[in-house]
Amino acid sequence: MSYALIVAEVRRGIFEERNLDSIGICAQLGKETAMLLPEGQYSFNEKMVDSIVKVKAGEEVFLNPLNMAAIIGKIAETRGKPDFIVFTHSSSGTEAAAYTAGIFGFPVITDVSGYDKERGVFRKSYYSDKLFGEFKTIGESAAVLTVRSGSFKEFAAEKSAAPNEVSVEDVPVSDSRTFVEYVEEEKTDIDITKADFLLSVGRGVGNKDEIPAYEELAGIMKAVISGSRPVIDKMWLPKARQVGTSGKTVKPKVYLAMGISGAFQHIAGMKDADCIIAINKDAEAPIFQYAHFGVVADMHKVRDALKGILKG
Amino acid sequence: MNILVFTKRVPATQEEELRLISDGKDVDFSKLPFKVNDWDNYAVEEAVKIVEKGGGAVTAVSIGSAESDEVLRRAIAMGAKDGFLVEVDQALHDPFARSALIRNFIQKEGTPFDVIFTGVQSEDDQFASVGGILAALLKLPYVSMVIGIDSVEKDHMIVRRELEGGLQERVRVATPCVVSIQSGINEPRYVSIMGIRKASKVERKSFKGTDYDAGKDAHIELVQWTYPPKKGGAQMLTGELGDVCAKLMEILKEKGVYQ
Ligand SMILES: Cc1cc2nc3c(=O)[nH]c(=O)nc-3n(C[C@H](O)[C@H](O)[C@H](O)COP(=O)(O)OP(=O)(O)OC[C@H]3O[C@@H](n4cnc5c(N)ncnc54)[C@H](O)[C@@H]3O)c2cc1C
Repeated sequence: MSYALIVAEVRRGIFEERNLDSIGICAQLGKETAMLLPEGQYSFNEKMVDSIVKVKAGEEVFLNPLNMAAIIGKIAETRGKPDFIVFTHSSSGTEAAAYTAGIFGFPVITDVSGYDKERGVFRKSYYSDKLFGEFKTIGESAAVLTVRSGSFKEFAAEKSAAPNEVSVEDVPVSDSRTFVEYVEEEKTDIDITKADFLLSVGRGVGNKDEIPAYEELAGIMKAVISGSRPVIDKMWLPKARQVGTSGKTVKPKVYLAMGISGAFQHIAGMKDADCIIAINKDAEAPIFQYAHFGVVADMHKVRDALKGILKG
Repeated sequence: MNILVFTKRVPATQEEELRLISDGKDVDFSKLPFKVNDWDNYAVEEAVKIVEKGGGAVTAVSIGSAESDEVLRRAIAMGAKDGFLVEVDQALHDPFARSALIRNFIQKEGTPFDVIFTGVQSEDDQFASVGGILAALLKLPYVSMVIGIDSVEKDHMIVRRELEGGLQERVRVATPCVVSIQSGINEPRYVSIMGIRKASKVERKSFKGTDYDAGKDAHIELVQWTYPPKKGGAQMLTGELGDVCAKLMEILKEKGVYQ
């Protein structure tokens, strides 16, 4: 049977919303779908897939790439080889996808955000969305994909019949990599998710010494300061102020982005703001595609000019 | 502990215009500055930190053109003992082909290692796949998105993986293994021009990529490059800086975030 195997991502018992993008791309590919899930009950519309394969293992075993490759091997034995193996483009999805491709010698394309049906090509981001590469797989073997969140969910639709459900037992468990525990982020008293107005700085800020002047501007404008990942990585701002997939998801009334290029991991954390204003010296910066208002300028000059106006 | 760390020279594209040439078959890199891949910089630092504390040596390896020697000198200036360049005359777009070449190189040269480090992804292609495929090809365990190494023991390490939304996962991984390092794991040390000059005196070995070709046929093919799909796009505010800022203030007032 020709089918696509979807490896669902569940975290702490929650079915991640981005699995809908995995379902959506399979609809675009015109494939029947079998969705792999760890044991447990999940709330999602099961009618969107043709079959559900419940793996008798908890999520910490299931999401381990070493175990996942073994589970996929077992499924291929009984169901036949899938045409596609689809993961979410997330921390664990990407990790398991690459490893699975290596084990079976399958082609892999990650961060897929588009599919051209007529030409059979997958589109993936390069240079933080400044260009896209269009790829085809070579040969007949199954292709491993990771799918960018938000790219295909509109194509996820209900099927006419409820899915059949099967289970996989005797899951091979690796002892060379094992789960110890989840670790929560330290609690702090800053909560950027509650702010109405965020002034967010990116790597374009240049160096740490520039930060206080932005903090001052934020103070005068009554905005809360936040940042993109590089600014947090360099410890110019604390982790609690990071916007993006590995930081916070924010929905302020106004998101003022200064010196941020607009990588997908950042956009995913702020795209639902009511109003996005981007200031960047590069007219081609991808963030202008998502912003409502844009200014092509040196952020430091804009900062100083705004301060000038506000201080009157 | 001996650590092999992979480091890549990439174009610095953030502030540059990228131009497609030959009908979208190529990207014009001729005017772009190049730099070390950000993620690899963190990986080199982490490797050096580990050997400084527990002994052993770091070897930096780069796959690329002759110019990639730059990132090897940089790694040596940071504390790597030596650098290997596997020279290829064409970029390998397929991460599978890159991983297979690395596997062949490691096996053929018998390069000793306890752990292999890569960056989580490279800034240019963002495949985030070379480490995972390589681990599988070498039949080693793999961990990616590593944002903290809690302990390094004789036969295993305890590491923290970054998940989404600030959550992390602590895992135990047996060595030898392949580890992909996430940005922000450490504070990469500053590298001075003097440091790089001194590093130039350390011998770097160069190898021919074509000697490691077995089984590295590409599994995917780049059909063409395209510019990003145009979405709605922003309303651009233009004019004198003072006027632009006055307009910005009006928007903030209209949205009710500034009185
Ligand atoms: C697993 C994973 C998780 C990630 N999670 C996140 C996340 O949660 N949040 C996040 O933000 N990123 C995240 N990233 C990183 C992401 O891929 C990008 O690398 C990052 O968002 C880039 O940040 P930036 O836009 O500040 O920097 P860059 O991409 O370097 O962009 C800097 C911008 O500043 C502009 N600029 C430079 N100087 C000036 C100036 N003087 N005036 C005006 N503009 C100027 C440049 O033109 C450029 O557009 C993650 C990556 C991975 C792999």
